[in-house]
Amino acid sequence: MKKDLNFIGKRKIFFGISLAIIAIGIICNLIFGTTLDIQFKGGTILTYSYEGEVDQEVLKDTIQKATPDSTVSFAMTHDMVNNIEAVSVQFPGDDNFSPEIQETITNNLKEQFPDNNFKTQESSTVEASMGIMFLLKCLTAVAIAAILMVIYVTIRFRRIGGLSAGMMALVALVHDVAMIYFMYVIFRMPIDSSFIAVILMIIGYSLNDTIVIYDRVREERRIAGKKADLADVFNHSASVVMPRTIMTSVTTLLAIGTVYVVATVFNLASVQAFALPMMIGIVSGCYSSLCIAGPLWVAWKKRGTKK
Amino acid sequence: MKRIPKPVFFIVVLLIAAFAFTAFFGIKYYEGDIEKPVIKGLSDIRWGIDIRGGVEATFVPVVDETADTEAAKEDSTVDETDPDGGPTNEQLDSARSIIEVRMVANGITDYEIYVDYTNDRIIVRFPWRADESDFDPATAVKELAATAKLTFRAPDGTVVMDGSAVKKATAGADTSQGSSAEPMVYLDLNDEGAQIFAEVTQTYLNQQISIYMDDTLLSSPTVQSVITGGKATISGNFDWDSANKLATQINGGALPFALEAPTYSGISPTLGQNSLTAMGYAAIIAFAIIAVLMIIRYRVPGFIAVIALLGQMALSIAAVSGFFTVFNSFTMTLPGIAGLILSVGMGVDANIITAERIKEEFKTGKTIDSAIERGSKSSLSAIIDGNMTVVIVSIILLLVFGPSNILSMIFGESTTGTIYAFGYTLLMGVISNFIMGVLLSRVMLKSVAGIKFLRKKWLFGGAGK
Repeated sequence: MKKDLNFIGKRKIFFGISLAIIAIGIICNLIFGTTLDIQFKGGTILTYSYEGEVDQEVLKDTIQKATPDSTVSFAMTHDMVNNIEAVSVQFPGDDNFSPEIQETITNNLKEQFPDNNFKTQESSTVEASMGIMFLLKCLTAVAIAAILMVIYVTIRFRRIGGLSAGMMALVALVHDVAMIYFMYVIFRMPIDSSFIAVILMIIGYSLNDTIVIYDRVREERRIAGKKADLADVFNHSASVVMPRTIMTSVTTLLAIGTVYVVATVFNLASVQAFALPMMIGIVSGCYSSLCIAGPLWVAWKKRGTKK
Repeated sequence: MKRIPKPVFFIVVLLIAAFAFTAFFGIKYYEGDIEKPVIKGLSDIRWGIDIRGGVEATFVPVVDETADTEAAKEDSTVDETDPDGGPTNEQLDSARSIIEVRMVANGITDYEIYVDYTNDRIIVRFPWRADESDFDPATAVKELAATAKLTFRAPDGTVVMDGSAVKKATAGADTSQGSSAEPMVYLDLNDEGAQIFAEVTQTYLNQQISIYMDDTLLSSPTVQSVITGGKATISGNFDWDSANKLATQINGGALPFALEAPTYSGISPTLGQNSLTAMGYAAIIAFAIIAVLMIIRYRVPGFIAVIALLGQMALSIAAVSGFFTVFNSFTMTLPGIAGLILSVGMGVDANIITAERIKEEFKTGKTIDSAIERGSKSSLSAIIDGNMTVVIVSIILLLVFGPSNILSMIFGESTTGTIYAFGYTLLMGVISNFIMGVLLSRVMLKSVAGIKFLRKKWLFGGAGK
């Protein structure tokens, strides 16, 4: 009989690691702040028209260099009526954009691409398309889903004290969302709609991971009986499920990793920026189920017995 | 174990293969040069602006000095806050929501719309239609910018009634003339409208009334009797498409002012060019890697899992592409793809959980039949609970961000298609997982276990010899 892995015994190390990452994230957040994209913040859209062919990456670099302090995003457009190429530069927020910056960009572009006849086409200030109301709506939706999820877990896992199991699954979810959020903060990536996609996907992934382990605990508890030590039951359950956990994580990571590699080959920075946090989220989702939700739940259940 | 007959395996595999082929490639025939899809495939998916690009248009109100409409008069008196005399912020907002309604009615759930109050502009970005072939932004923009003012005009050209009298427009067929049911648009008038219409039909009895949409004459029926019931119809040369379109346009309401788009342009995918090709390659390579891993580790159950996975992907794609005519085709965006990835991941997981359980059963010395039987049974609760919790999340997202918009009383009407897309693909993916990854893969497994030369424990994940 193989020895069970000891997740509960090492819980202080796990909690320590997570808290340390969260602390680093909070510090970075205080220093750098959060970069919200124009969809959430409103801002300024500046459009330049030009003629002929231009290397898009060089173009982006040229513009980015003029605004080292702010994160801008780009959209390339092609006016089919007048056959004019154009690039829109989006400056999120009110303080990221100034007429001076616009002048610098204009001059830099003319210097870098003298033959392409760069011209300021228009500059407009826009409201956020997904404003604060949208974020509140997202939070409300997630809160409703969380409550229903806890109710479901409470009913289905009543044999092992469903309510606490549900609450701890929720803690694991918050943990994963925090990990991805801080990852965006630490690497200074702007929060845009792909952030929402990553968060939603990781919530689903982590939830499934936690439930699969709870399911095994529910089963092993029935076999071991009421008197068995909960810590042992959890360690045993997590250990027998381990091959599945590894296999699922490896296949998912390889699949997303493929997306990342292909995006690198095609030089698609935006797809990389989507795949990378997703990979982090998968690792975090797997880790939080085993090392956060489980140990927290065991500690909660045993809080009365240890005096 | 209740064994399932051997041929069932081959029948299921053939069905999945045939289904996957049609779901991926669709079935089309050509009428001259025009492609007519019978069954919609991958190429018929409407990809979001982030993946395939689309149109960007800046709408500005038409400043028309000569048009002395009532609305324009109202503007000039009410609009004291805005010195340049443009439309009010409320009017811009209502124009924005009408444009939004038109987008959603056209199946565009992925769009960005910004209102620039200082310059009185509305900037819109939306994706290309799936069947877009000439990539001409002009027609697409024109459709959105149409004022959509429905007018009923007397023989001398004066407007006697307009779209504000209409409560609801529906497309329907005139069945009174037997089989030659011709599509037309039925109008339900509101109380005030019904009264006006009664008066109008009284005044112009036996004369022609012309019905216009903006400046297009729709039809000029002759009034044959006084209509008091508040119902009117517009007939004309409609087919189902154009009748539906007109009804949607009338329901969407008229813009508070005419819009024009002085600048509009095609827009490259925000994810970068080639992102669709890249993701296509990534999907194929990732599928191959997963297939190899599954077959190496789980052998026969792994092979069956790969078939089930193919079926699951096909079913999810079919739910998005409009393969089933009851579901309209759907705008696929990055969050939509994330939902698909998650559901495929959960499909793989379901098969892994089952296969691992079968392996565990072999360790306790079970026979092939009882290992499969017990492994399938004991893994079921984990799969159901895991998928059900995710279903809860996806349904909430659909209700909050979809057409039903259950939180609209708190947060106001809005349609944010990107999150709706995630919920939709995830829910469809999980349902497909229940059908393919849970039900059919079990059927295949129990059927294949009866094939004699495969009846070796090793092939089902047991230890060697």
